Amino acid sequence: MANSDSIHAPKDRLESRVTRATDGYLEEVLAGQKPLLFDGGMGTMLQKAGLAAGAAPELLCLTDPTKITAIHAAYVTAGSDVVTTNTFGANALKLAEAAHAAGLVRVPTVTQVFEAAVACARAANPRYVAADIGPTGSLLRPLGTLSFDDAYDLFAEQVCAARDAGADLVVIETMADILEAKAAVLAAKENCDLPIFCTMTFGEDGRTFLGTTPEVAAVTLGALGVDVLGINCSLGPADVAPLAERMIAWSPCPVMVQANAGLPSVVDGQTVYDIEPRAYCEAVAPMLRAGVSVVGGCCGTTPEYIAGLRELIATHGPTHESRPVSTHPFVVTSAQQPFSLEAGQVGVIGERINPTGKKRLKEALRTSNYDYVLGEAIKQERAGAQVLDVNAGLPEIDERATLVRLVEELQGVTTLPLQIDSTDPAAIEAAVRVYPGKPIINSVSGKQESLDAILPLARHYGCAVVALTLDEDGIPSTAEGRLAVAKRIVAACDQQGIAREDVLVDCLTMAASTNQDAPRAILEAVHATKAELPGVRTVLGVSNISFGLPFRELLNATFLTAAFAAGLDLAIMNPLSQRFMDAVCAWRVFNGEDQGAQAYIAANAGRTDGASSAAATNASNASAAAQDAAASNVSATDPHTPADQVQSGVLEGRAETVSKATQALLSEGVDPLAIVNDVLIPALDRVGDLFEKGTFFLPQLMASAEAAKAGFGVVREVASASDVSAKGHIALATVKGDIHDIGKNIVKMLLENYGYQVHDMGRDVDPQAFVDEVVRHHIALAGLSALMTTTVPAMAQTIELLRDQAPWCKVMVGGAVLNPEYARMVGADYYAKDASEAARVAAEVLD
Amino acid sequence: MTPELKRRMDAMCELCDEVARPACVVQAFDARQLPLDLPGNDIAEHLRDACEVVLFAVTLGHGVDRELRKLAATDSLGQVVFDAAATAAIEREASRVEAKVRLDAARRGLYCSWRFSPGYGDLPLSVQPAILRTLNATRRLGITLTPSYLMIPTKSVTAIVGVHPTPQPGLASSCAVCNLSEFCELRKRGATCGSNSRPAASR
Repeated sequence: MANSDSIHAPKDRLESRVTRATDGYLEEVLAGQKPLLFDGGMGTMLQKAGLAAGAAPELLCLTDPTKITAIHAAYVTAGSDVVTTNTFGANALKLAEAAHAAGLVRVPTVTQVFEAAVACARAANPRYVAADIGPTGSLLRPLGTLSFDDAYDLFAEQVCAARDAGADLVVIETMADILEAKAAVLAAKENCDLPIFCTMTFGEDGRTFLGTTPEVAAVTLGALGVDVLGINCSLGPADVAPLAERMIAWSPCPVMVQANAGLPSVVDGQTVYDIEPRAYCEAVAPMLRAGVSVVGGCCGTTPEYIAGLRELIATHGPTHESRPVSTHPFVVTSAQQPFSLEAGQVGVIGERINPTGKKRLKEALRTSNYDYVLGEAIKQERAGAQVLDVNAGLPEIDERATLVRLVEELQGVTTLPLQIDSTDPAAIEAAVRVYPGKPIINSVSGKQESLDAILPLARHYGCAVVALTLDEDGIPSTAEGRLAVAKRIVAACDQQGIAREDVLVDCLTMAASTNQDAPRAILEAVHATKAELPGVRTVLGVSNISFGLPFRELLNATFLTAAFAAGLDLAIMNPLSQRFMDAVCAWRVFNGEDQGAQAYIAANAGRTDGASSAAATNASNASAAAQDAAASNVSATDPHTPADQVQSGVLEGRAETVSKATQALLSEGVDPLAIVNDVLIPALDRVGDLFEKGTFFLPQLMASAEAAKAGFGVVREVASASDVSAKGHIALATVKGDIHDIGKNIVKMLLENYGYQVHDMGRDVDPQAFVDEVVRHHIALAGLSALMTTTVPAMAQTIELLRDQAPWCKVMVGGAVLNPEYARMVGADYYAKDASEAARVAAEVLD
Repeated sequence: MTPELKRRMDAMCELCDEVARPACVVQAFDARQLPLDLPGNDIAEHLRDACEVVLFAVTLGHGVDRELRKLAATDSLGQVVFDAAATAAIEREASRVEAKVRLDAARRGLYCSWRFSPGYGDLPLSVQPAILRTLNATRRLGITLTPSYLMIPTKSVTAIVGVHPTPQPGLASSCAVCNLSEFCELRKRGATCGSNSRPAASR
C-alpha cells in the first residue's frame, strides 16, 4: 500500500494478534469462565491521604512511591486480584501541564511515570498489574481540535511504556468519546500483546457526554477485538446495572463494571459519595447474575467496598457461563446509533454519495463544497436510509484525503452508520481507521489480490464487508458460478476470523436489457447464498437491472421485491426514489417486520394511486405548500412587476416569493444575467445598506440572503454554469487555535449568495493548509477570522505565509478583537467589520 | 421583521432549550488554602480580603456543539440564532450558579464579589487546566480544552467568586478589566453588557 506510511502505526499492524495472558487463570477470565476483581478508587484514597485537589496524582509515583504502594497494598489486602497503576492522566500532554502547574523544571517522561507506577503496584504484590490509561483530556475532531493521529500517538507512547514496564494488562477507562476509545484500543492492539480492557463512562441519560450508548460501545469495542469491555465511573451501581445489561446483550467478550460509590458532594472541602459499602455490594450482585464477570470500584470506593465485593464473588461465583450472543444479528454502528438487522428483516443502504454520473456531486467534491454532500446525506436519512454508502472515487481528487474528510464531516449531520466504498485499500484503511463506530467496507471480491488486501483490514478494524461475487475471470454468468465465488470469499473470511454475520455477499446485478437470463441468475444466486452459507447476509445494488430500458423505476422496484423474496437482506439503492421505498415499505408488511402493518398504514392511509410521497412527509409538505400558496396568492394579486416582487421578496426574506417571481421574469424572456446583476444583486446591496444603518439586524440580513439564494438557484437552472457562477473564488478560515467560527460562517453565507465560489477551510485551520488551498486554486481573495486576542498571532502568521507563497492574493480579516489598525498590523489588505462589508470588499477585489 | 422570520427564530430558541443539558460543578475553598495558583494582579485585587474562594464550571454540553455543526451545513440563519440563544443560555446558567453562591454566602452573613473568569483582565486562559483539574470538570462535566485553552463544549464557563466578610462594591463586572473594551459596540453606544439599562441608542 503506497500511502500506508502516513498512518501512525507500526508497519506490521495488520498481522493477526494473539493476546498473551500472564497465566492460565487470566486466560479463563478472558474466556468468560472466571470472575476477576479489580481495585477501587485511587483519587479517593489520595484525598484521604491529604493530596490536594488539583495536584497531579501521577507525579506521586515518582515523588512519593511508598504512599502509592500503601494504597495498592490496602486493595490487595482487601482482596483485589488486579491493582491499577496510578497513571490515569500520564500522557505527554497532561504530564507537561501538570509539571508546569507543580513548578517542575523538568517534565517527567511517560516512560518514567509508567516505570515508577508499575513498580509501585508490583511492590504491593498483587496477582496482576493493570496499566491505567485515561482520556487525553482534549477532544478529538470534529467537535474538538485534536487529530486522531495525535491522540493515537499519545496513547501509543503510554502503551509502549506500560508494556516495557511489565504490566499484565492494559485498562483503557473513563472514555466518553468512542473515537478516542478507538484510538486508544488501536494503539494497544498495534503496540503490545497484553490483554486489553476498555470501559466507558455514562450519564443518567444512558449516554456518554458525546452521546454514545452502551450498545454502540459494546458493538464498536467488541468489533475492535478488546478482551473485556464495560462501564466505569458513571453513576452508582444500581444505576449502572441496566446499562451493563444493555451492553451484555451486544458484547462478544466478558463485560466489566467499576461503578462510583453514588453521587459526589463536597463536605468540609472533601468530596464524599453517598453509597455505603454494603449497599454498594447489594447493588452489584444483580449485575453478577446478569453476566458481568469483572468488577471493581471507581470514584468514592475504598478497600472496604472491595472487601465486600470479594465476599460477593465468593458466594455468587461466575453464574453466567455462556454469553447470550446466540442469534447473531447483523449490526453496524455510528458513534450515536447502531443499525441492526434480525434474520428476515430488510435494510436500505443509501447510494447517493457517489460521484459516478453525478455532475453536481463531482463539482462539490472538487471544490471541497461539503455542505452539498452533507445535504445529500440528510435527504437520504429523512427518506428512510439506514446506512449511507460513501464513495469519493474521482480521478482528479485525493480520494483518501476526501474520504477521511467526508467521514469526519458526515458525523456532524447524520447518525447513520457509513459504508466506506472504494477500490483503493489505502483509502479504505484511512477512512475505517478514523471512523467512530463499526462501518461496512465496500468491497472485497474473489480476486486473490483483493482478499489479501481487504480482509485483514476488515478484521483488524472490526468492519462488516461487502463481498462481490467476481474474481480473476470476471462475473460468473450463472448462479452456481456466483455461489462458488461467494463460498471462496466466505472461506477466506472464516479463516481470518471474520464473523459470518459481518459478511454481506453481493451477487452483482446485471442489466436485463443485455441478457434476459441475468435477473433469474441473480435471484437464484441470492437464494443459494442464503441456503448454503448459513449466517452470511446478502446485499445488492439494484438499479443496474433496468439499464437501457425506459421507466426504470418500475423495473427497479419490481426486481427489488423479487430479490427480497429470494432472500436479499440489504438493498443499496436511491432512497429518494418513491417506488423503491414503496417496495421496501410493502415488503416489510409481508415479512412481518412491520408489525400490524403500522408503518405501512401510517405512510399510506388515504393515499391514492399516483400520489408520489409518503404520508408522513406529505402532511408536513402539504401544510408548507398551503402556506406557500397563501404567500404566493398575495403576490399574484400584487400589482407590482415580477422584478419588484423579487426586490421586495429579498428585502422581506421570502424565499418562495423570490423563487416564483424569478421564474416569472425568466418566462418573460428576461436575460438570466440581467436578473442577477440588475435585480438580485441590487436588492442584496439595499439589504446591506439597511444593515449598515442599523435598520436591519443580522437575522434579517441572513433571511434576505437566503431569499436571494433561492432566486440565484432558479437562474442557475436555466443559465449555463459559466454565465452565472464565474464571479471568482474566495478562501475563508477561522485561524489556527481559534474555534469561534460563527462570524466566518455568516460571511460565507453572504458571499455565496452574492454568487462567489467560497472555499470554506473551517476553523482551527493550519496556516500552511490554508495557503496550499489558495495556491492550488489560485484564489484571489482570502478571508480570515479570529475572536481571541490570543489567536491574532496565528492570523499574522497565516498572512505572512500567504505573502510569501501566494503574493497575488488579497487578504481581508475580521473578528471581535480586530479593528482597522490591528488589521494593518497583522498585514491584511482589508478590514471587514461585518459580513456586509466583506461582500463590498469581495466586489472591489473580484468584480 | 416578518412573522415567518420571528417564527424561525423562536423555533431555534426552543431547539436550544431542548438540546442544552446544563450541568455544573461548584466547590468552595478556604482562601488561605487554595490548591491552585491564580496569576495576575486583577484576580488578586478581586479576591483581596476574601475568606473563601468559590470555583465553578458550568456547561450546556456537547449536544449544543453538535447541533451547531449540523446547522452550519443546513441552515445558516438558524445557526446564528441558535448560537446566540446558546450564548445567552450559558450566561444565564453561570449567573444562576453565581446567584446561588451569593445566596449561600448571604445566609452566613458574608458577601460575594462578582464572578471573574479566565481571560478577564490579566488572568490568563492558561489557568484553565488547573481550574478544570481542581473541579474534576473533565470527568464530571465532559469539559475539555484545546491547545489554546478554549473549552469544548464551547458553551461552557469557568469562574471564580470571592466570599468576603464585608460588602463588595458593585455587583456587575466592569469594563476596566474587559479585554474587548476598546472594540465594544455597546460601549460606543454608551451601554455596558453588565448593566441592565437599555442601550442609549434605543432610548
